[in-house]
Parts: sequence; C-alpha cells; structure tokens
Amino acid sequence: MSGLPTAVPHRLAGRRVEVPGLLDVGGQGRDTAEAVRFLRECAGLGLRVSWRAAGQPSYDARALRHLPPPDELPGDHEELAAWRSGYAHGALYHRRGPGFVTVMDRREPGTAARLTLDHPDLLAAFDLLLDPTPLDALDPTGREAAGLLAAERLALVTGGWAVALPPRIRRWPVPCTAI
Amino acid sequence: MRVHLVTMPWHPLDLPSLQLGLLNRIVRQARPADRVTEFHGSLRWAEFLLERSGGRLRPGDCVAVGSDGIFHGLGDWVFSGVLYDDPGWGLARLRDYAADRDVLIDTAVAMRPYAAEFVAACATEVLAAEPDVVGFTTTFMQNVPSLALARELKCRKPELTVVLGGGNCEGPMGHALHRNHPFVDHVVRGEAEYAFPALLRHLDEGTVPVDVPGLCWWDGHISRANTETRRTVAPADIPSPDYDQWQAALDASPVQEYVHPKLVVEGARGCWWGEKHHCTFCGLNGSAMAFRAKPGERLWEEIGRLVRRHRLLDVVTVDNIIDMAYFRDFLPRVAGSGWDLRLHYEVKSNLTPGQLRLLGESGTVHIQPGIESLGSRVLDLMDKGVTGARNVRTLRECENHALTCSWNLLYGFPGETADDYTPVIDQLPALVHLQPPSGAHRIQLERFSPHFTDPALGFGKRRPAELYQHVYDLPADELTDLVYLFDSEDAGITGPVEQWLKDAVAAWRAGHADSRLLFEEAGEELLVVDRRCGRPPATHRFTGWQAEALRRLEDGRTVPALHRLLAAGGHDVPADALDAWIRHALSLGLLFRDGLTYVSLPTWGEPVRLPEGAGAAG
Repeated sequence: MSGLPTAVPHRLAGRRVEVPGLLDVGGQGRDTAEAVRFLRECAGLGLRVSWRAAGQPSYDARALRHLPPPDELPGDHEELAAWRSGYAHGALYHRRGPGFVTVMDRREPGTAARLTLDHPDLLAAFDLLLDPTPLDALDPTGREAAGLLAAERLALVTGGWAVALPPRIRRWPVPCTAI
Repeated sequence: MRVHLVTMPWHPLDLPSLQLGLLNRIVRQARPADRVTEFHGSLRWAEFLLERSGGRLRPGDCVAVGSDGIFHGLGDWVFSGVLYDDPGWGLARLRDYAADRDVLIDTAVAMRPYAAEFVAACATEVLAAEPDVVGFTTTFMQNVPSLALARELKCRKPELTVVLGGGNCEGPMGHALHRNHPFVDHVVRGEAEYAFPALLRHLDEGTVPVDVPGLCWWDGHISRANTETRRTVAPADIPSPDYDQWQAALDASPVQEYVHPKLVVEGARGCWWGEKHHCTFCGLNGSAMAFRAKPGERLWEEIGRLVRRHRLLDVVTVDNIIDMAYFRDFLPRVAGSGWDLRLHYEVKSNLTPGQLRLLGESGTVHIQPGIESLGSRVLDLMDKGVTGARNVRTLRECENHALTCSWNLLYGFPGETADDYTPVIDQLPALVHLQPPSGAHRIQLERFSPHFTDPALGFGKRRPAELYQHVYDLPADELTDLVYLFDSEDAGITGPVEQWLKDAVAAWRAGHADSRLLFEEAGEELLVVDRRCGRPPATHRFTGWQAEALRRLEDGRTVPALHRLLAAGGHDVPADALDAWIRHALSLGLLFRDGLTYVSLPTWGEPVRLPEGAGAAG
C-alpha cells in the first residue's frame, strides 16, 4: 500500500514513483483531474515522480507548475523547460488545522501569499475537491465556492471536473523553514 | 491604573512577544481594574524603515541586523546615537571594530539616520495611550532601543513611571541598567510573575517597594537593589500568553506581507540537565536553573487555544530543554491531533530513535539538540553528558526522520588540544551527507556560565566584550556589571588547527546539498549507495555478517561488543577478520570512529532537501 491514489497505476520504490502509462493533462474531463490528484499527493509526500504527459492543456497550463514536471510533454519544448526550471518543492501547499486550512502560495516569483480558508462553505468545497469531482455533483453553493477556488488558482476546473491543486504537506523538507 | 507594555526592536518580526503576552495576563489577573495596552515597537520599526526608506530597508534587513548582528551589537548601536543625542556616536569605533573582524555594517549604518525620528514617533504613540506605567521587556539587543525611548518618554512626561524587565535585567546587569539611567524608575530583576504586580500595588498606594524581591528603585538619588529571591515561579502560576494585541498590530501592518507569523509557547523554565551538570559555557538560564514544566496536557490545551484563535500552525517553544515527560504526555497528543503543526524545540542530543520518530510524527520537525561538538573529550570538558558517537547518531537519525537540526560546532574550551580535534576533522568528509553545523565558532564567555563564575576553569582574565565600546558610553566597571558577553584570552585550539576545523566545516556546508549515503535492501544484500561530495560514486554490497555488522553499528558499539552480538546472532567471525572489515568500512567512510566506538553512517531515508533560506521573506 503506497497510500497514493489507485486511479493512476504506478510503481513505488523508496521515494521514487514511476507511472508507466501516460497522464492526460488535456483537461477534457476526469482523467486530468485524476492525474492532478495523483501528482498532488506525490508532491505532498515529497516523492520523486517519473511520468509522461499526453494531451494539450485546454486551460492555462501554468496551473500545474507546482506539481512535479513530466519527463515528456507533447508539443512545445519551451513549455516543458519552463515547467522544469520553475518547479520548486513546496511552491504551493496546504495544511490542516482545527476548522481551517492554511495555504502557502509562492508560485509567483518573489511572493509568498498566506491564505486561510475558514469559511464553512469554502472549506467544505475545498475538502470535497481534494477528490476529483464532477461539477454536476456540486450544489449551487459548492459551484460558487469551486469558482472562487479556481479564481485563486487553488482548484483546476476544466472539462466539467474540478480538483484541488495545493498538496497537503505530509513530509517537511530539510530545512523545514525553506517552505 | 493604565499599564502600557512595550517591546522594542529587535524582537523577531515573525513572533509575538511571549513576555508581553505573559505580562498582559499577569497584570489583568492580579489587577482586573487596570487597563493593559501594548506597543509592538519592533513591528513599528520595520514599518517605519519600509516607509521612510521608500522600500529600500525591508523587514529582511531587520533580521540581518537584529538577529544575525547579535554578537556585534549592531542593533543596539543603531539606537545608541539617539540615547546619547549624537547621530555619529560610536560610528568610528564601529567601523574600526568591523574592519578588524570583517563584519558587514552597511545595513546598520543605513538604518541609524532613521532612529531618532522613530523614537520620537514611538514616544508620541505611547503617550497617546495615556499610560501611568510603561513597562519595557528587554532581551538581547533591546537595551539601547528601550533606554532611548524610556529617556524620551521621561523627558516629555516626567511623572510617568518607567519599568524595565526581562532577560537583560538579571542579577547585576539589572542594577547597572538602573543606576546608570536615572530615567528608568524601576528594574524588575528575575521572573516577573510575582514581582510586577507587587510593584504596581506599591505604585498605586504610593509606598516604597522595599519588599519586592530583586527590584531596583530610587531612594532619592541612590539606586537601591533589593535582594533577589531564590524562589522561582511555580508552573501553575505561569499564565498562558495573550497575543490578541499583537495579532491586531500585525493585521494592521504592511510588514505582515513579509513575514510568516508563528506562535510562541512556553512549556518549561530552567534546565533539568543544568541542575545536575551545568554546561560550562552556557549562561542562558541566568540565576534560575531550577527546571519547572507545565504538565503536557496543559501545554497542549494552551497550544490548542492559540492555534484556534490565531489560525496559525507554526509553533516555537522557548524552553531551553524539552521536558522528557512530554514524550509521554504532550507529543503523542500533538501527533494524534490530525493538525499539520510545525514545531521548534530544543532537546538533549541523546534521544532514542523512537523519540526522534515521535518528534517527526508530531510535527516537531525543527530541533536544536545542543550537539556542540563531535569529539567526546571536548564534550566531557563542557560537561555536556553525551559522546561524539551519540551526536553523530543523532545527526544520522535526523536524516531518517526528516528533522531539521540546527546546531553549532563550538571550540575554544580550556584544556582541549589539537589531538582532540584532528581525529574528528579527519572524519568530517565522511559526514558530508548529514546536516552540517551553522559554522565552527569559538565559544564566548557568557555571564552566569560556569566559565564566568569560576575563573579557575580557564578564563581568568576577562573584560566586557569589545562590541560594547560602540554600544554604551559607560565606564569599564559599570559595563562589567551591565553586559552579558565578555572577552578573554583564547583557550583551547588556535592557529592551524583552528583554521583546519573552520575549513573542514566550510567544506561540509558546501558539499552537503548534493551528498547522499543511503542503505538499500536488495534481497539478501545490503547495499550502501554512496553519492557523497568528494568521493567517486559507488555502491557497496554487503551480505551475511558484514551486513549484520553494519546494521548493528547503527547504535554505536565497540568492536568487542559487536563481536559478541554477531556471535549471539549465529555469526562466528574470527576477531582479526572483524578488525580488518572495520578498518575497510572506516576507510570507505561508512563508519564514524569515536575512541573505541564505531557508528554506521548510511541513512535509510533521505529528506527532501532545499537550499537554505529558500523560504526567507524579503
């Protein structure tokens, strides 16, 4: 048991994860949401991931840049180079406290934004979106909250599916103060 | 009565003042009718610099001067010009001092022109609260900023009562602070829980505070210092801090965008190790070494309350040493909470792997284990109660449990010789995959330490540290009573060995980021994957008794003890074969040798390593 989502077949050896199949990042539906969840959970555990991407993102691909970059990305080489050079462990993560979630967002170079999610509706939506969720399954409050989270780039909403973007930090780096 | 509590620069910008948080509660509990307000001057200073310098002097610069500059008195110096009414006061001496020691002073020098106007603005703001009493807390470099403001306050409102307290006021330091600064009405020496409310009662009633233990007060023009008490404050009387006013100040401050606030809590005072064996160089506990801890359940309740109230998950503890009972009644509660806390704790370095694992599981991922040295004889000289082998083990376990380990390598102990260091320095390249010290530092002579109180230990000649020459305009005998750090003749290693040690530590720090030494299990084989800086990449394979020996040495053992263990495990190894294998493993840098004890160096896991300072805010 790796503790990682089973929707994406993978092999775990030590602190390395290998994904034999392609992960669809095209954003057409559930597959992309599942891929994001898988990579997000790997990042939260501080695992090194070897994976290959398929599909052309139908959304702003910068939304994934806090996740471990793929070995291969169809199309533009510059896109992959930018992902690799801009990737930093802990650039975006969340932590859970009693009745709230804190988010650290360092995705914009030179910034470090702290957000606290403590509004019950927002928190409930965030918790729900930790699992890939079809928009159809959300009530109006949930859809509004998903929209707010997407506007802050804390959720990816595409192809009728939504998924939360910040990993929960489960393994601190050394030094732990670096993130 | 209106009581205004003040913390001046250089209180860390990311932390509330525990002292103010405690005093606020103490006064309100003892005197419910009093109004207690707070002034967070350190935060104000960062705001002031940011605004007045047009963004040139940023909160990160305050850290550089206020924290990193402690051993050069840079933060105090910034405000000395205000205290002495001379913007250029001490500048030439500071420049000479800095040139001799290669100290960067540009930021401090750039800050000084803002200090006078800042102190004036502080005085206006403090007086706007219409206080009857202004209480300053002063630790490290808060003396001169506090004195500068105290002087300005008394100039503007002579009837105001100014009180100083805090770590800088312990013992003779407090009396010297008092008698040399007539604008300071009272100095509370030692713990304030009982003394401060007692002083307020006297002020209210207009009586002379002759019965407040440790207090300094003016008898006409004579500075009186009441005898200090040996009675320490019971844990039950140490309140839980109130950080509401700090939170309000931070919420209203542009500085909040630059800092990651953390909570500060206190589980214990004193040091249980120091009660039995006072580490010879340490003066941190002042005159109150007696160890007193809140029950773990109560500490956890306090943290829970603060976490809920402030919605912060980073917690710094100020305890000089963790209460070992907390491994039973505190850390399991933290680990079981399901909250993603990140705690900082000072611990003793002889923790078991199980205790280190619990620290990791509880989110106590930043520890300061007081390692100080990797040489057993030097550790003996400092009465540290651990061996070099044990310290190496702790460093290795920190890798296994992804614990961030802050430590210094100290040298300069009376009686140490080059022979105590050369075997350790020779082996430092083998430790490059473990977390390096912040540097190799010669010990300082600190007031209250055994080195200070007993000149026979080797530091017979002492004088106030040179840095105070650019901080205070006071005669030598007064400085001798007022300051915490002293200069003395160098003891222990000097010259080439000292330089060799510093170079070896610098190489460790430079090579650490890309170095790994990892165990891997492959069927019957135990692999050691060596990717350490300074060695060719290699994978060593061990089977049978050799694999067993390497595992057994994780705990650190002598060769005869290892031999017995292997025999008990069914491995009949000839003694000379074991000796030869030990020599081989040592030559590969897979073992650390401390006298007769050998410790395995490979780790079972590797943390995610990031460059130091990657997360520092501007």
